Amino acid sequence: MSVAAPPTHAAARAVAATKIYGSGDTAVRALDAINVTFEQGQFTAIMGPSGSGKSTLMHCMAGLDRVTEGQVLIGEIDLSTLSERDLTLLRRDNVGFVFQAFNLVPTLTAIENIMLPMDLAGSQGDTDWVDEVVSATGLADRLKHRPSELSGGQQQRVAVARALAGQPQVIFADEPTGNVDLNTGAEILGFMRNAVDEMGQTIVMVTHDAVAASYADRVVFLVDGKIVDELVDPTPERIRAHMNQLGA
Amino acid sequence: MLRLGIKSLLAHKVRFALTASTIVIGVAFVVASFVTADSLRSGFDQLAEDINTGTDYTVRGELPFGEITEAVAPAVSADLVDDIAAVDGVEIAKGGLFVNGVIPVDGNGEAVTTFGPPVAGTNWLEDESLSQFYLMEGRWPVGIGEFAIDITTFEDDGYDFELGGTYQVVTPTGPREFTLTGVAQFGFPENAGVGAIFSLFDTATAQEILGFPGEFTVISVRAEAGADIAELQTRIEAVLPDGVEVITAADSEEEFSDATETFIGPFQTILLVFAFIVLFVSTFIISNTFNIVLGQRVRELSLLRAVGATPGQVRMSVLTESAIIGAVASVAGLGLGMLGALGLKALLNFFGASLPDGPLPLVPRTVLWAVVVGVGFTVLASLVPAIKASRISPVAGLAEGTSSDEGASLGWPRLASGGVLLAIGLVATGLGLFGDFDGATPQLSTLGAGAAVTFVAVSVLSPLVSRAVVSLLARPLVWMMPISGRLARANAARNPRRTSATAVALTIGLALVTMVSIVGQSLKVSFGDRLANAFTADFIVTADTQAGLPKTLSSDIRAAGIGTPVGFDLDLVQIDIGDSQVETQLTAARVSDLEAVINIDVIEGSLDGFDPQTGLLIQSDVAADDNLGLGDTVELTFVSGDRATVSVAAIFDGNGFWSSWFIDSALYDQFATTAFDDVVMVQSAIDDPEAARAAIDDVLDSYPQAVLEDRQEFQESIESSLNTVLVLVNVFLGFALLIALIGIVSTLTLSVFERIREIGLLRAVGMTRRQMRRMIRWEAAAVSLYGAVVGVVLGAAFGMATSAAIPEDIIDTIAVPYLQLFIFLVISVGFGLIAALFPAFRASRMNVLDAIADE
Ligand SMILES: Nc1ncnc2c1ncn2[C@@H]1O[C@H](COP(=O)(O)OP(=O)(O)O)[C@@H](O)[C@H]1O
Ligand SMILES: [Mg+2]
Repeated sequence: MSVAAPPTHAAARAVAATKIYGSGDTAVRALDAINVTFEQGQFTAIMGPSGSGKSTLMHCMAGLDRVTEGQVLIGEIDLSTLSERDLTLLRRDNVGFVFQAFNLVPTLTAIENIMLPMDLAGSQGDTDWVDEVVSATGLADRLKHRPSELSGGQQQRVAVARALAGQPQVIFADEPTGNVDLNTGAEILGFMRNAVDEMGQTIVMVTHDAVAASYADRVVFLVDGKIVDELVDPTPERIRAHMNQLGA
Repeated sequence: MLRLGIKSLLAHKVRFALTASTIVIGVAFVVASFVTADSLRSGFDQLAEDINTGTDYTVRGELPFGEITEAVAPAVSADLVDDIAAVDGVEIAKGGLFVNGVIPVDGNGEAVTTFGPPVAGTNWLEDESLSQFYLMEGRWPVGIGEFAIDITTFEDDGYDFELGGTYQVVTPTGPREFTLTGVAQFGFPENAGVGAIFSLFDTATAQEILGFPGEFTVISVRAEAGADIAELQTRIEAVLPDGVEVITAADSEEEFSDATETFIGPFQTILLVFAFIVLFVSTFIISNTFNIVLGQRVRELSLLRAVGATPGQVRMSVLTESAIIGAVASVAGLGLGMLGALGLKALLNFFGASLPDGPLPLVPRTVLWAVVVGVGFTVLASLVPAIKASRISPVAGLAEGTSSDEGASLGWPRLASGGVLLAIGLVATGLGLFGDFDGATPQLSTLGAGAAVTFVAVSVLSPLVSRAVVSLLARPLVWMMPISGRLARANAARNPRRTSATAVALTIGLALVTMVSIVGQSLKVSFGDRLANAFTADFIVTADTQAGLPKTLSSDIRAAGIGTPVGFDLDLVQIDIGDSQVETQLTAARVSDLEAVINIDVIEGSLDGFDPQTGLLIQSDVAADDNLGLGDTVELTFVSGDRATVSVAAIFDGNGFWSSWFIDSALYDQFATTAFDDVVMVQSAIDDPEAARAAIDDVLDSYPQAVLEDRQEFQESIESSLNTVLVLVNVFLGFALLIALIGIVSTLTLSVFERIREIGLLRAVGMTRRQMRRMIRWEAAAVSLYGAVVGVVLGAAFGMATSAAIPEDIIDTIAVPYLQLFIFLVISVGFGLIAALFPAFRASRMNVLDAIADE
């Protein structure tokens, strides 16, 4: 387990981040003074048993929710200092997010969904970059289709492309392959791996699946809101071994 | 299943409260209509009873034809009083005079006038319980120089009257000065005057100044205690000459109540029509809400089916739910309706109606209607949703997501059923407009049913086109606000059935408003044109009280040498043409001067050498219908019972502005039962209009009830009174628009709720609250605009058809107020924006993570 690294290379980090739901007897400590840093250009997987706080960590880091104590930083921006509006703008401009499902606005076409954050910002974005992202999705011929006309895997690839298109500092993905079959999952993971390798993006992904996690550069294990272990250059076998060890 | 219905209601109470409020408004409208009308009825009935206390019989001149409400009966000879008093069993008989159009002028020179109630002159009687005039202050006036006034006017802060002061009173025999000696109250202890204004004189003075020397307009009779009312009536009858009748107090109460019903009945009907429009519009809103809410409950309903509920049970549960909503809404509507009735009476009084006080009677009929209408319309609205819910399959819940985005059958069945309905609706509407009917009620019912079916057809057909039309109308949004606009447009178009159902309420409201404005505009243009061509008179004098202008007015203007005045007196007459008889309006005027003031287009015969005593002018269409040619004679019977034989001297081409029959006032005035003209037109002999006006004004100083206008002003004031009516109609139609507004709010709230994950997603990827609100506001605006465009188009069609159907002598030009229609569209966009305020606020405040996590 590593203490926060020097900030220069950090795309995002949490410093003693604690999240408590509820109060009194029913209070749940979903994140317990977590310190974690996500380096630029790295693909990190987060694993842990159900209820261990993975989603909570994603949400707090992405500015969808606020920590109770401690700090969350995107680049050098401390999210706790931001107003509701600035937080929204930060999500739009500096963070990408991929949910497990229901990532796309049904009334917009694939390309409109990809462009959504930039359209919301009223900016063109980096056209070359967008072209690159779009061609990497392999969906060039389906861009005018609406989500309902795309398969689950295609929808998730569009979602990843949307997260990438604005060149955010970091992308968070909460079980992006949780809802699709194995082959489709591999498609999406390959696309994300590619985004890190070829496009220099930073991705943090929650997953239950050792194979999925093995696409990452590093795996962080979460139990009861604490980081208990981590693994660099993982393989499915090593991951499984670690998980058994953790009793998950 | 009943429990289930109630449970689901409680779970969705906010949504249903919003929907039920539309029914509450509708029911309240129905209740207010009945209660106000009943209150008027009981007030007037009480009044009739009060007036007749102490009087057992009324003796008066008998109208030879027509109703007592349509004409003034002839006076009777004063000698009759003694004859009646001498009848065995009569305790007392006294002659009374009651003449409308006797106007007191207060210390500031202001005439005391009313809009409707009489401003009358009468005589006081020693026997106060017979006359029902009770002296309250001062003493009764005696002799030609004194008068008393009613207490309401005396105490009215707006008028300046003091005992002992000298005031002018304008009588049918001209303006005179009187000293105020007393204050009297009509009815005791209540003031039963209901807005009427009285000047009282002693009997001899009244006879002289009111123009009835040796005559009375009524004789009030009281029987001795214990007399047999019916038997005594026959004995009184025996001493009466022909043309004089005796009626009992009960008869006059009934007559009074019939007379008041002639305006209370239509008043109630008109209000009920608006109430039903509101309820009709509500039905669409409620049906829509049920559809959406049941759509959201697909899972729950299919689970019910899976564990063994039959389709019938599901249907019953939905219908039970709606019946409960309807019942609750009815009760709330009753309460609101009572308040509404209170407000309505206050409003009417504010406009000078002086309605009798009294409780607001809530009779069983009103309660029954409230419940039947409230429950009935709600259950009716839930019928289709209930049937649909019962068809949900037990496995439907296993499918992903909500079903409400699609599922609209947009194909041939919809087109076919909508088409058939549209055809039926249009045929019925056409029949209602152009068909031959026996009276107004069946005609208007056919028309109303036709319009209702047409609206239903439009709501059935609308989903077929709504997506395309909304997308087209909302296109500018995409240019205005790239992403919010694009999303707003897409959301407005995404569910054609819901968009249509939401918009249809506005469609109906605006269709009616548009129709009214086109008919109104056509009326104004047609009337304006006709009016402009109808006169050559430079000035028109009208009265601001009902009684009209004393006939002395036109002779005074003539005597002053200002020009050529012509007084027009419209009255009921009966005409014998061969064997048949018609009752109609006849105008009496000085025919030799007619061409000086009006454009009368004589096409046969001539006005030259017109014999005032035997001449008749008739309008060409009437002449053709009645088969009358030049020189043909007819016999006229006047309301006084007198008869005259006249022959057709000229036939004119009427433009519908004048009555169809003219005789000379020289003939008519011998038999007139009132000494008033309805209007006086003046062709001025003075070149300078200002000088002419000043000269006429001088004469009018003695006639404070007179209003002087030049042709332009007259036309404008007629237009403005037409506008007042149109505004009033639109205020009532505004309730339908209010319902539409509630409908948009309710649907949008539900839609937002349904799209909660999408909204969460948008916020998650960086849509600001402001962008979110804007998106939802403009979605609502797009839906409203769609509803409005369809409404305006439909209303324009209805309006033009109606204008075409109205006889040419009323509307001959169809005019479309384009600017106004455009403003309607702009306003409805604003409407949508306003309706969206609450849903937009809610959506923007939604917690992003909760929204995303929502199932
Ligand atoms: N909105 C919430 N309110 C209360 N408790 C919550 C809420 N969200 C998550 N939790 C609790 O916080 C803990 C961590 O949840 P989560 O982050 O969703 O776990 P994971 O994603 O690892 O399954 C769990 O115990 C969960 O019950
Ligand atoms: Mg989770």
